Amino acid sequence: MIFNTPIFFWFFCIFILFYGFAFLNQTPKVYLILISSLVFYGAWNYSFIPLLCASGIADYFIAQAIAKSATKQGKKRWLIVSLMINLGILAIFKYADFAIESVADLLSVLGYQASFTTLSWVLPVGISFYTFQSLSYTIDVYRGDMKPRKGLLEFVAALSFFPQLVAGPILRAKHILPQMHKISLPKWLEAKHGFLLITVGLIKKTGADILAIPADKAFAAQETLSTLEMWTGVLAFAGQIYGDFSGYTDMAIGLALLLGFNIPLNFRVPYFAKSPVDFWRRWHISLSTWLKDYLYISLGGNRNHNRTRNVFLTMLLGGLWHGAAWTFIAWGAFHGAIITLTHYLADLKVFKRFNHSKKIWISGLKWAITFYLILIGWVFFRATDIHSAINIIANLHTIGSANVLGMHAWSIFILTVIWILLVHIMDYFVIKSANTLEQKSWQFWLVIIVGQALCLLIGEPSNEFIYFQF
Amino acid sequence: MNSSTSNFNESNVSKNTECLPLNEQQASAPRPSKDKRVYIKITLAIALTMMAAMGLVRVLLDSNDVNKQGILGRVLQAQAALPQIIAEPNELVMFYGSSMTRAGFSPRKFDHDLKAIGKDITSFNFGFGGLNPYYQEIFSRRIAEQFIEKDRKLKLAFIEFNPFQTTTTRWNRAQFTVDSFITMLANDSELWQILTDDLSRGIQLFTIKYIRNHISAEMITSYYAREIFPPQREQVFTDDEATVAARQSLAQELNQLFEQEYPDYDGSNWYYPWQGGGTIPAERSAHTLTVFDKYYAVSQTAARMKNDRLSRIRSADIEALHFEPVLLESFINMVKNFQGFSDQVEVVMLPKNSRYIHYSPAAQKRLAQAIKQIEKATGIKIKNHQDIEEVNADMFRDTTHLSRYRGDIAYTEFLFKKYAAQL
Repeated sequence: MIFNTPIFFWFFCIFILFYGFAFLNQTPKVYLILISSLVFYGAWNYSFIPLLCASGIADYFIAQAIAKSATKQGKKRWLIVSLMINLGILAIFKYADFAIESVADLLSVLGYQASFTTLSWVLPVGISFYTFQSLSYTIDVYRGDMKPRKGLLEFVAALSFFPQLVAGPILRAKHILPQMHKISLPKWLEAKHGFLLITVGLIKKTGADILAIPADKAFAAQETLSTLEMWTGVLAFAGQIYGDFSGYTDMAIGLALLLGFNIPLNFRVPYFAKSPVDFWRRWHISLSTWLKDYLYISLGGNRNHNRTRNVFLTMLLGGLWHGAAWTFIAWGAFHGAIITLTHYLADLKVFKRFNHSKKIWISGLKWAITFYLILIGWVFFRATDIHSAINIIANLHTIGSANVLGMHAWSIFILTVIWILLVHIMDYFVIKSANTLEQKSWQFWLVIIVGQALCLLIGEPSNEFIYFQF
Repeated sequence: MNSSTSNFNESNVSKNTECLPLNEQQASAPRPSKDKRVYIKITLAIALTMMAAMGLVRVLLDSNDVNKQGILGRVLQAQAALPQIIAEPNELVMFYGSSMTRAGFSPRKFDHDLKAIGKDITSFNFGFGGLNPYYQEIFSRRIAEQFIEKDRKLKLAFIEFNPFQTTTTRWNRAQFTVDSFITMLANDSELWQILTDDLSRGIQLFTIKYIRNHISAEMITSYYAREIFPPQREQVFTDDEATVAARQSLAQELNQLFEQEYPDYDGSNWYYPWQGGGTIPAERSAHTLTVFDKYYAVSQTAARMKNDRLSRIRSADIEALHFEPVLLESFINMVKNFQGFSDQVEVVMLPKNSRYIHYSPAAQKRLAQAIKQIEKATGIKIKNHQDIEEVNADMFRDTTHLSRYRGDIAYTEFLFKKYAAQL
């Protein structure tokens, strides 16, 4: 069930009627959330419902066991069990085939022709999101950052909470569990903000689907396109993935607000970033903070002069989190490299003045360099293989046939740039001053109605969200 | 909740993202838990905004004629004419097929020739551009329903097997129309069947039919996408300026002559007085026919024909003919539907312009295989009229469609000679 499909609309309408008018007490509400979330998840593939529940149930009891363990050693043992279960699920469902194929390729390069059977299992939707969410709970309990919760149903309901189940944001247990423990009514102003976010999310998704046309064209026919068309394609993909993912997140936050839940922001105008580090503070914030808190810090963080290694490893694994392919690893490595380079340059005396300057042209230059690097990174992310990615990057830097193209190619390029800019301005407005609009009644509803009409008009419900595959 | 997300500002953002600050104490802040007022407001807001947004969409689409009638006007007009057709006193003949049928069969000429030998038959042209066999099959069910309900039968049904409409390329290019066309052509019990097989798709189709007025978002997006990203047109060959100018001027003259000679024509795509076919030479003036001759001389040029061929190779795979199993299966089912209410069913392949269309050896094999599959499934031997002597390459307005007053008349006469004895 995808948020922008008719089936989800009717599902949510029925849900809200029960939630708002029939299930008024805490425990029935939790039951309703749990059952509805499992129905929502089962709409893709009901056979993975037991996996989702088992993962949650296991971590719930492991957290209790960690808390009960008297010794550090005992706590650690239980944490390792939790890590093995969650990462094991990921390894089997997501990475096993990739590992098998990579070993076969390696042996083939070494001259051995080995034939391995791959598992070819279907990847459960949202597996990367809910395993990380569940894992954060046991780690927090192990670290003493939170006490284990009582209430298995609440825990599984929080883990499977349908607005964020399949594509995040990755919620921390300490954030969602207290809300699930005491479900509160939304204030009307919060609900209005929910409507605004849902509309903004739909608009972003609609735009993303349109940008997919030049993006797909560029990545499919890389050899035959001009430099301008390639740049248009890469820009379009940057706009597509942002609109698609942040659009989904906005809808998730908006839906949660209508139910009285507060889900943290996951994007903050990321293409306005002025350095790669800044980009990761604005892009998929729930993942980057998860990786920082649970991986980077666990690896030692900035201590012992190991920052470079730790940053690189964190980004590499962050890339791998997105998918079992060398292109994602390359994307992670690329970001690891540019963050490391940023740290290195920031430490140099000659760059310190540059870095702290508030002159507009310097800010513009920093933004341009960062955006350029992000676009190059997206080539690795979107390309079918490393070879194609390198070809595309080479094509992007070939001074060639752009001048012979007509107005049409330029128009698409300009429209793509305008759309990305508009989406960012819209986001900036939502973050900065949405409440001003929300207090103006008829203007607010006009925006909602026109926005939703636009999405109904051209939003294709058959297009899945990109991040569902992760 | 910790901080109202409806008052999101930078400070809230940093709180939310950096330390995820919601603690238990904040979350459990007392709130009236059974107050339904906010959910009354939320429910009303969902219903009213959706209704208003949908209303806006409907107004916009209708004002641009993007609706069922605007898209499938000819099909729907033919469907609306079915009760009248069924009530005709004469025996009935129907030619069912694609735009090639629409251009290639003249029902009034056919009836006129039959009448001359003492046979009272009323025939109809049910050729529709843009309908591949998948859609034709659904529409054939609607025709069958009405005939069977009134216990009426066709004396003879010609069904066109159009290989160019049955390719995978053609099928892929029609994907954006699938949802809309299904809702326009299928009935509710068929949609209900889809819903029981696939809940999500069923709900989507019912929503498109009853809330979106049959127009899926894919249809609209595709329309705008074509505006922004126009499909590649094969315009490799060009005519000289004089030919182009003459073509435009003669086309304009023909339009004016049509308006003068058919003042009563109501603009229907499927016009009952013409039995779904086009005009016939017998009712045109000598001057008009001369203008037609001149027009064909400047419009059937080698450059236009070659461009058209390239365009159809791209859009319909007309020379390699990779058949789409779904479309072949639909075609077979369509023939079976017609067998249910026809005394005789003939599956025919209309003439093709062999000066420009040349099947590859592999295509010939695939075509033979497809024909064999259809014949085996339906028990009907396909009559291949693609290269009949009675129709030559000068009788086509492009690489696939017969031209008016030349190709359609020649082919209709051919059918008359072949089938008059059986009627």
